[in-house]
Amino acid sequence: MEGVMLQSFIIHPTTLSVTSFKPTKLLLSPRRLPSISLTFNQESPIYSLHHHRYTPFLSPPSYTTSTYFLLSIGSSATHPPAFLSGSKVLLAAPEVGVSTETSEWAMPDFYTLRRNVEVTSERVEEIRAAAGLKQLEEDLAKLEDAAVDSSLWDDRAKAQEILQDLTDVRDRMKLLNDFKAQIEDAETIVKLTEEMDSIDTGLLEEAVSIIKDLNKALDHFEFTQLLSGPYDKEGAVINITAGAGGTDAQDWADMLLRMYVRWAEKQKYKTKVVEKSLGDEAGIKSATIEVEGRYAYGYLSGEKGTHRIVRQSPFNAKGLRQTSFSGIEVMPLIPESMDVEIPEEDLEITFSRAGGKGGQNVNKVETAVRITHIPTGVTVRCTEERTQLANKIKALGRLKAKLLVIAEEQRASEIKQIRGDAVKAEWGQQIRNYVFHPYKLVKDVRTGYETSDITSVMDGELDLFIKSYLKYKYSTSVSNNQE
Amino acid sequence: MRVSSVRASLSSRLKPILPNQPLKFSNISSAPTPVKLQTPLFLNPADYRATLSDLKKWHLWARGLASSVGTKFLDLDNGPDSALLHRELNWLIEDSLQDPIALLSDNSDDSLVVPLRACLDDLYMLWKQRIEGRRPFQYLVGCEHWRDLVLSVQEGVLIPRPETELIVDFVSDVTKENEVLREGLWADLGTGSGALAVGIGRILGSCGGVIATDLSPVSVAVASYNVQRYSLQDRVAIKQGSWFEPLKDDEGKFAGIVSNPPYIPSEDIGRLQAEVGRHEPKLALDGGADGMDDLLHICNGAASMLRPGGFFALETNGEKQSNFLVDSIGSQSEGRFCDVKVASDFAGIKRFVTGYRAG
Repeated sequence: MEGVMLQSFIIHPTTLSVTSFKPTKLLLSPRRLPSISLTFNQESPIYSLHHHRYTPFLSPPSYTTSTYFLLSIGSSATHPPAFLSGSKVLLAAPEVGVSTETSEWAMPDFYTLRRNVEVTSERVEEIRAAAGLKQLEEDLAKLEDAAVDSSLWDDRAKAQEILQDLTDVRDRMKLLNDFKAQIEDAETIVKLTEEMDSIDTGLLEEAVSIIKDLNKALDHFEFTQLLSGPYDKEGAVINITAGAGGTDAQDWADMLLRMYVRWAEKQKYKTKVVEKSLGDEAGIKSATIEVEGRYAYGYLSGEKGTHRIVRQSPFNAKGLRQTSFSGIEVMPLIPESMDVEIPEEDLEITFSRAGGKGGQNVNKVETAVRITHIPTGVTVRCTEERTQLANKIKALGRLKAKLLVIAEEQRASEIKQIRGDAVKAEWGQQIRNYVFHPYKLVKDVRTGYETSDITSVMDGELDLFIKSYLKYKYSTSVSNNQE
Repeated sequence: MRVSSVRASLSSRLKPILPNQPLKFSNISSAPTPVKLQTPLFLNPADYRATLSDLKKWHLWARGLASSVGTKFLDLDNGPDSALLHRELNWLIEDSLQDPIALLSDNSDDSLVVPLRACLDDLYMLWKQRIEGRRPFQYLVGCEHWRDLVLSVQEGVLIPRPETELIVDFVSDVTKENEVLREGLWADLGTGSGALAVGIGRILGSCGGVIATDLSPVSVAVASYNVQRYSLQDRVAIKQGSWFEPLKDDEGKFAGIVSNPPYIPSEDIGRLQAEVGRHEPKLALDGGADGMDDLLHICNGAASMLRPGGFFALETNGEKQSNFLVDSIGSQSEGRFCDVKVASDFAGIKRFVTGYRAG
């Protein structure tokens, strides 16, 4: 615990300067993790304020609370700092007398407030920059010009689109400017207090409340930015496929299956392993998990890709170092009500055959159905249901989900527009390395985020990987847009 | 006009069926043996208990047993391989546990007490019967998932096959555009579990109805139970008797006739997959020397039972029988049928013969 407290002080929040434009550089040092603190919650995935920013990266998340508590004791012997009221941190530390004894503001409380104003101010700047404020201003100018153009209403649909865009850009800019105005108010209060001899409790309380509300608003803003994809709100289907390499790879696929099931359970998502094809000696050849719950797809979509393991093979007498791969595919769990039409002639549906003469001669529960979307070559197979009809319906749903994701990746507005030649191999690029031997390290090759606590990761502690990827994805999409 | 008259006569024919009670068969002379219905496992109350660790032990044992099969059965008689048996095991778990997730995820508390629909000893026995006795999975769990239905089955009743699902599709296609067929009276001959009767009963119009027949009292009881489970008592009647015999009153009035009669040649019966040959009723499988006895009988009868424009669909053993049937319809029942066609199943085998009674 001592160590934890010490570390928390070392990473003084004010030393953090986070800019989202250079995510890879930023993420080189894990201590400078961007402060997205998402709380995965099935009911209302609004992310609450954890101030992970100060949390020593190496300490398990459960220390977060203690860290804070110690911090606050260090700064004020009796009161937890009022600015944290309402944040999740204090839920574990009872607010003794905060509401009634607020009249006395000790200097340490003021310093805490001042530090928080500074941190929040940086956060506001970071978000304003990441949101592409400059671009927005240019867009606004263009749209305003278009809106006053005399030919605007020649094309009614286009006019409405322009006006809608204009409203959107204005709203967004107003929000970003409100952030700025609020932080400036808080900064003014801090400056005033510094210049004055006495402490105006009322003013300071106001600053505390501004900072609290502002952080909530920033959290919400970031959240909606990170999970704003069209299917992010949906549940998810994860396909795990063992790569080449026999039992080692099949065991690895099984470990990944467990990892994702554990992760989902931690988020209180409902999971169902709907298909599992066992390996010859150990592990699995493939598995399909359905994860039900809001935003499951948004969180998991970044897990798509090849996952690589390096370890001493448990299946090899010599215990040689062995590298294996498994592929992860993630699709949204599209509600049946979502209407996506695929012309029948574009589909090739194959039903598995029981073999032999069939009919009354054979009794086999062979229900697998395979559907190929001919224009793109995208294929899905469904075996878990007990009838071919049910498997066909399910496979069709999965195929649609898969095509929708590809359409989104290609920025195509409908499935028809998907360029078949551009559909990449099933599970694409390598995204993460899990090294068990000769040292322990899990590292995401896209974000650079890494941890040596491989046990926790395999036990489903994926939040920081997911968060850093979401953040990375968002920053790259913003900078791409600005180029 | 026609439609309403059919409806009026239909209701008198579709007498209430009382399953779950020993059925009384007024139209057969021999004294009926009361049929004991087996409730599908998944419908049993979860009255049994086992600890999760005991259940996991069973699961491990069952998996080991399934894995030990490898391709032995497949090589022997085209039986199931380990992969299929593992799938069946998952479904057995699905049917016997209230919350199958507990067993299938590996991080639950082992001391947890799990409600079961069968006692643990029975689960051991059932899986042993499956692997060592080659007892069909569907008899183990007492049901078969067929199309969008879950049908009760038990020893003495043919387990409906996936191929047969297509007959319902055929009926669905022909009734879509044809009101007379949609609102008419249909017959399912040799209904077995009642699969076709229930499947068709659900797609007919509000005035349509099905009379299904079967010689086997077990089939009649099970089919009646399935009809009741889907609340189709007022549009599907199950009658005991041989083929058309219970339908004599309605000769010439049927809008459609479907059947999956026994069609396996007698000499093949001894070489069938063990699940089929050792456990399913011969009555539902053996079609005589060339397997055509019942198909030909039904074809002949259909000509007089169907109304003009009526539709029929029959399942056969494959290309040879289908072609033979088409030829014999052409030569013997000249002019009585039209638009006679052979249709393939999903494996590409020419499985069905369909056609219409000439108008």
